[in-house]
Amino acid sequence: MNYKCFLSNLMLLLLLFSGGCDNVGDNEEEEFSVSGDGVFILNEGNFNAGNATLSYYDPVTKEVENGVFYRANDRKLGDTGQSVIIYDGTAYIAVENSGIVWGIDINTFKVQGQLETEGTKMINPRFVHIVNENKAYVTDLYSPYVNIFNPKTFKYIGAIPTKQPSNRGYSSTEEMVQYGKYVFTNCWSYSNKILVIDTEKDEVCDSITLSSWQPKSMKIDKYGKLWVITDGGYATSEDVYGDNIPYLYKIDATTRRIEQEQALDTDEANVQIALNGGRDTLYLINNDVYRMSVTDAHLPVRPFITAEIDANGKKHKLYGLNVNPVNSDIYVADAVDYSQSGVVYRYSSQGVLIDKFRVGINPNSFSFK
Amino acid sequence: MWRVVVNILLLAGISSVVKAQQEKVAYSLELDSVSIVGKRPLKNTGIQKTRLDTAVLHDNIALSLADILSVHSTVFVKSYGRATQSTAEFRGTSASHTQVMWNGMRINSPMLGTVDFSMIPSYFIDDATLYHGASSIGLTGGGLGGAIDLQTKPLQKDGIQVKYIQGIGSFDTYDQFLRLTYGNYHWQTSSRVVYSTAKNDYKYTNYDKKTDVYENDILVNSYHPKERNKSGYFDDLHALQEIYYRSNRGHRWGISSWYTASKRGLPFLSVDYKQDSEFTNEQKIHTSRTVLSWDYLQDCFKWSAKGGYVYSDIAYDYFTKRQDAVSTDITHSRCYVNTWYGQLAVEYSPVPRLFFSADVNIYENQVKSKDKSPYHIGNNYDKKRFEMTACLSARWKPAERLAIAACLREEMYGKNTIPVIPALFLDYVISERWNLVAKASIARNYRYPSLDDLYFQPGGNPELEAEHGFTYDGGVEFQLAQKHYLLKGNATVFNSYIDDWILWTPNTKGFWQPSNVREVHNYGVEMTSDNMFFLSKNTVLDISGNFAWTPSKNYGEQINSNDASYEKQLCYIPEYSAAVTTRLSWKNWNFSYKWSYYSERFTTTSNEVSYITGRLKPYYMSDFSIEKRFSWKWTELSVKTIVNNLLDSEYVTVLSRPMPRRNYELFLEISPKFGRKNNNLNQLK
Repeated sequence: MNYKCFLSNLMLLLLLFSGGCDNVGDNEEEEFSVSGDGVFILNEGNFNAGNATLSYYDPVTKEVENGVFYRANDRKLGDTGQSVIIYDGTAYIAVENSGIVWGIDINTFKVQGQLETEGTKMINPRFVHIVNENKAYVTDLYSPYVNIFNPKTFKYIGAIPTKQPSNRGYSSTEEMVQYGKYVFTNCWSYSNKILVIDTEKDEVCDSITLSSWQPKSMKIDKYGKLWVITDGGYATSEDVYGDNIPYLYKIDATTRRIEQEQALDTDEANVQIALNGGRDTLYLINNDVYRMSVTDAHLPVRPFITAEIDANGKKHKLYGLNVNPVNSDIYVADAVDYSQSGVVYRYSSQGVLIDKFRVGINPNSFSFK
Repeated sequence: MWRVVVNILLLAGISSVVKAQQEKVAYSLELDSVSIVGKRPLKNTGIQKTRLDTAVLHDNIALSLADILSVHSTVFVKSYGRATQSTAEFRGTSASHTQVMWNGMRINSPMLGTVDFSMIPSYFIDDATLYHGASSIGLTGGGLGGAIDLQTKPLQKDGIQVKYIQGIGSFDTYDQFLRLTYGNYHWQTSSRVVYSTAKNDYKYTNYDKKTDVYENDILVNSYHPKERNKSGYFDDLHALQEIYYRSNRGHRWGISSWYTASKRGLPFLSVDYKQDSEFTNEQKIHTSRTVLSWDYLQDCFKWSAKGGYVYSDIAYDYFTKRQDAVSTDITHSRCYVNTWYGQLAVEYSPVPRLFFSADVNIYENQVKSKDKSPYHIGNNYDKKRFEMTACLSARWKPAERLAIAACLREEMYGKNTIPVIPALFLDYVISERWNLVAKASIARNYRYPSLDDLYFQPGGNPELEAEHGFTYDGGVEFQLAQKHYLLKGNATVFNSYIDDWILWTPNTKGFWQPSNVREVHNYGVEMTSDNMFFLSKNTVLDISGNFAWTPSKNYGEQINSNDASYEKQLCYIPEYSAAVTTRLSWKNWNFSYKWSYYSERFTTTSNEVSYITGRLKPYYMSDFSIEKRFSWKWTELSVKTIVNNLLDSEYVTVLSRPMPRRNYELFLEISPKFGRKNNNLNQLK
């Protein structure tokens, strides 16, 4: 081969290979304008992947839009989305491992504000509770503080030390419910406590100790009764953080005394509770969906909705739960293998399947417009 | 004469740079290499392997073995930047399906089953051979994807040799390398040190975030902020001491001892809004590995024995630097690993057409894993496990063009034994003129669970069974030499099935658990080529490349009817990958250009593409280097400049892990001559 010809061919080859290639970049912000009722579904994504997403479902048209936060704002929601609530036209989304709370317009999905880490007092935000129009609380998985911010301006106000002893080292705080001037928050991670916060003084004023470990979900009914479900922690060959037995508690918010407690089936199932709009009916997932009046003494033995069973006998594992406060439609999620798009089931208040649709990875929180 | 030299080199299975090859031939301990000159070594019957020689491995001191593998092999390396955990995957399998040997001793972590290739400086390896698929059975068990054999070797030169390299690069990167060697006919010693530090705080445009600009509460602008890689620093020290002795009676002894002290920040995600000034996320590792070896060549036998020990302590800390000066540990993990190792092996070749070998390897692993943070009090586990693997093999050449081989391997771990692993290999010379050889192999294989898989608390699953696979491959390789060029290449088609694939998934309590869930079908094509062109007396052009097509599909039983992962490509495994390296040597100048390509990769098991995080787009990467060598009476000197990411691409290799844009490093290498002339021992003897 001619020497010069060879070199020429070589340079050509190099030029062919030399095409620069970005695999990240700008994206257009989509303009959304949704109206009427709608459901926000927060998909937590996978830890350390930064792939939490937000889905929006129109219950009338039965259309679902996935990834709406990114599409509307050309930025990612973050790593491990934990909860979404709606207050006064704004959806507040706590994204745990990103250390941020977003506020977005519920019709355009555009970012209205964001609460970022203030010092080290907000580490992994879990839930937002609006105390009043000028004050909101944020609980945290790792921080021994409940942080305070203004939900209109997203300005950081301060922090409430939880002042909990390091019994197995918990400092986590989770869901919040309000009764009068008191906010109750359950301490899920390696704990059996419910803390009581005086919202006038912004300090922890009392606590309730449960007999079971890891209170995971908490709601308050129309009669001022706290409903708390624990996951029971876990027992292993090396150490014990509970006994794996989930418990359901009914606690009077005034006296802070436990009025009812019920051990549930020992299982590795995800447990969640929710109330209907009238706050007189409790829904619970523990493999299946159970329903009881808040005045009942026990959960019924038979489930209200049995999780879907495949033709080959495989039962779907339910992951997230909430109930539409207006029409009591029930939304439950199936995370499948935790690494693919999850599926949401929508049932009527009578337990009839209305719709089933795909969302993002690990759907775990629902909020209703 | 030139043609003769080239043909000799070819027959010895050589490509690449002449100088490096001289070093390898000079100290080859392999019976086949020294006894079957000019023939195809029986030991390589049916073996699909890729050999990385010193010239490739010692390209520059800033490279880890992960960097080398990603460009010079069809192995897929999952990494998100320098000094971050990097794993290697053969043929669409997982990182734990790649077994890695260092001087004969397996160095996969007994906890995880994987190897972090970013912890292996390429300058500490003198010879690396990749055994693809079934070919790994002859080396070790458990390599469902393949195995990588890493060797250190004496320089094999007389007298004192000194080499020092200083590198200075972007992002406050400093690399230092020093090697002192001394040798005579009987003794060879080598001391190597690599010390690398960097802030590694490269700037990038964060497309995962956006800054909004308001005027009078009205949004007037928004832009993706420029950010720095947070907590990406590293401070790595490696020291390697080797001593070799060979007697006049054919005995060879050796000791290799490798110490690592590493402190690395774990980079924050691009979607993390926390500040590294307020949080420390750091990994500290101290590891020492020692291997003692003895080899004895006696007539038709080669006897060898090895003993080794590995100690490793691994600390992982994630804590807040509180403003009130009180620190809170989020994670405070400590792992202590002790491994004792022993090997006995024999090779026997009564006649040139027959070759037998047998070996037994034992490992005693002791792992203590605990987490002292207030959030995870207590031991994760404290376990010991005895492991043994033994292999018998026979290779036979019934005809001049045909060779066949069979291996039987048996393994045990703890109180469990796994079924006998059989493997068959075949070689057939299609054309002697082209050195065109057809190869084929077929094998079963097993990989038993790691200690974390079985015992980590919470989550470990003692009921796990060994993953098992069945693989076969076939292909051709050729070598062709003419007056002005030397061509070498191979193409392989492979097909393998892995059942009971161990997968960690989150459970309802918030922690992860492993289970035997997947059945994976890997198949595809691997091609490599290495070509040298002698353009003139002073000009050599070396072009090497590789291409892989590696579909890796999940055929495991569906979790339920919503499971859309069936028949889908496994996460993060590209279906296509390719790389080309071009090196031009002209007088005292060396130019190098590296190009690599990875096709799109999915981040979900269902291969979802409807949202932005469902996949990583394909990307190309280009690196360039230029080197000038000087030679004076008293020393040799070289100055080398490297440009990484030549075309300034903005890209990610893993979700939310932005990579550095164009960056540079300058190396100065000095090798004093100490009055030596030509002191290559092989030439002296």
